[in-house]
Amino acid sequence: MHNVWTLIQREYLERVRTRSFVIFTLLMPAAMAGIIIVPTKIAEMNTGGEHRLVIVANDPKLGAGVAQELTAGKSTSSSDDIGEQQSQQFGKPVTYAIAVVSDTSDAERDRLNKEVMDGKITGFLWLTNDALASHQVLYSTKEAADFGQSSDLRSAVRTAVTKEHLQQEGMNSADIDSLLTPIRLETVRVEKGKKGTSGVTVFLTAFSMVFLLYAVVLVYGMAVMRSVIEEKSTRILEVLLSSVTAKELLAGKILGIGAVGLTQVLVWVIFATLFSVPGLMAAKSFLGTMHIPVVGMFAFAVFFLLGYLLYSSMYAAIGSMVNTDQEAQQMQWPAMMPILIAIFLMNAVIQHPDSTLAFWLSIIPFFAPILMLVRILIEQPPMWQIVLCISLMLATIYGLVTLSARIYRVGILMYGKRPTLPELRRWLRYAG
Amino acid sequence: MADAVELRGIRKAYDRFVAVDHLSLKIHEGSVYGLLGPNGAGKTSTIRMMIGITMPDEGEVRLFGEPFHRGLLDRIGYLPEERGLYKKMKVIDHLVFLGRLHNLPEREARKRSLEWCDRLQLKEWTSKKVEELSKGMQQKIQFIATLLHNPDLVIMDEPFSGLDPSNSVLLKDVLLELKKSGKTILFSTHRMDQVERLCDSICLIDHGRAILEGDLKKIKSSYGKNHVQMQYEGDPQLEGCALVQSFNNYGNYVEVQLVPGADAQQLLRMAAENARISRFELVEPSLEEIFIDQVGKNA
Repeated sequence: MHNVWTLIQREYLERVRTRSFVIFTLLMPAAMAGIIIVPTKIAEMNTGGEHRLVIVANDPKLGAGVAQELTAGKSTSSSDDIGEQQSQQFGKPVTYAIAVVSDTSDAERDRLNKEVMDGKITGFLWLTNDALASHQVLYSTKEAADFGQSSDLRSAVRTAVTKEHLQQEGMNSADIDSLLTPIRLETVRVEKGKKGTSGVTVFLTAFSMVFLLYAVVLVYGMAVMRSVIEEKSTRILEVLLSSVTAKELLAGKILGIGAVGLTQVLVWVIFATLFSVPGLMAAKSFLGTMHIPVVGMFAFAVFFLLGYLLYSSMYAAIGSMVNTDQEAQQMQWPAMMPILIAIFLMNAVIQHPDSTLAFWLSIIPFFAPILMLVRILIEQPPMWQIVLCISLMLATIYGLVTLSARIYRVGILMYGKRPTLPELRRWLRYAG
Repeated sequence: MADAVELRGIRKAYDRFVAVDHLSLKIHEGSVYGLLGPNGAGKTSTIRMMIGITMPDEGEVRLFGEPFHRGLLDRIGYLPEERGLYKKMKVIDHLVFLGRLHNLPEREARKRSLEWCDRLQLKEWTSKKVEELSKGMQQKIQFIATLLHNPDLVIMDEPFSGLDPSNSVLLKDVLLELKKSGKTILFSTHRMDQVERLCDSICLIDHGRAILEGDLKKIKSSYGKNHVQMQYEGDPQLEGCALVQSFNNYGNYVEVQLVPGADAQQLLRMAAENARISRFELVEPSLEEIFIDQVGKNA
């Protein structure tokens, strides 16, 4: 145990101290922040501030109605476009200064076009009776149509036209407002005893967790493999084996590198939290639905660790079989395969998380980090299944480390070439 | 005196290839022991079983009078033939790391590492990375790592291979000092001439079997002084000479094994007729000759 601890320390410190680790760990959040912040800033620049509009309409009442819809804000807007959320989420609120004109002559049109070109007005809306009859309303502006604004305009026009029609039909305005209030549809996940969050959220959550798991396992599993190969190629292995066992060596390596990965993820999570707190406050409405249950977080942590241990011990086994990075590249597929298959199967499990098939698939140790996690996030499977699944994974991890240690030890005695499968079987048989 | 190492009929086979075949030997505490044999004779396999890197298929390994267990490894320093260091690590960190693996407390490991580096003129290099060191310096680091925990038994597999002459001398001096302080040293090499002068006892192995084992002086004297070393110019014409059983000619130096009962003076007179003899000495056979002789017998 003392030896494993020493090995973990070395593996950890040597990696964390490298310049590339520090740079990558710090640069990643910066890059992510850049990806998130820059478009937001750009969006703000486009949408913010005062928009000067001219509405050209034969019917001044309709023009005033549209102007009212636009200035009154979105409370009565029937828009369910994403554009609405976008302009709410990012950017300053847009204010409108609107003039209603009833001159629909071509001369007026030319004059307005010129004003747009000169930048005196942001744009004008050609809302003539002809346009309404043909169901095609033109909005002329110098700027490339921006998603948020054109959707605002569209819904304002639509609402104003509908309102006017309804009023003409003799409906009072209170009834009209109530009629036009949009109905929101929300999917609610039913969990035992309590009301859960929406199905889409679970899917999104599961997917991002699985992706993180996949990325980290891949990056750090490979690191384990490369480190094993390095120890063989620098010939330090035998020096180490005179004081530690191959199993201790592998365990120290897997745990040490795993700790490096955790450190990195932790740093990123802290950064992400710091960066996103203001954003979260602003975008409460949207992210409110991204709520991750505590159980889910815990399950993620557990399966994340187990998944890493399982796959990195597989990578360690591959590393102990080969002598160079190139050979390792060719040998990687046995480690990659299960994780990819699990990702393919994920959808089926999400749709029928309590089916027999889902149960059997999710307790297979190589699939479990992804499929059991998904099942836990969607519906809570019986406790015994989770316990069984975790026990199977632990047993597999132990078995794999033992196996790799054997290959490792015999592998150093036979330099030069990669073992064939029958040779490998014989290696494993050598008792010591 | 107790035995630092005792092997009782150990055997190790890989597939059909038998690397070590029922080998038994004893290494007395405080002695310098040579495990000798050609490449592929099973020397490294034997050592690996001694220190638990592999387990023998049959037989028993005993260290310091006890059956092998890993706790004893802290009393052993092993310098393998295939040796390396982590290139990116700082010298001092590396030494401390290896010391700690032998259960030295960190502070003690650091203190001893600095002392050793000071002694081997590596003081200015302790905070450099291993890869910045020359090969010779890296070899010194490896010696230090082997000896850091002050082992009672030092095992060195082909220690002189790849060593520059000054480091060879350095290593030899360090080892002699260890011997004086009562440590046991085991050499494994195929370069017989190098260890001949250092070893008290030897074991010659070939094809995994011991073909000669015991006290070096006794082995040599059992061969008697029927060997001649001769330095010459010209051609002493030993070919077909009735006095000569075998000879090993190096061009202007030759080692001759006489037939039993032959008179060395007669050989001298004969050789002097044909060549200028600058040195003529009656000696015990060199280890190499003994080895060739023994292997010949077994073949």
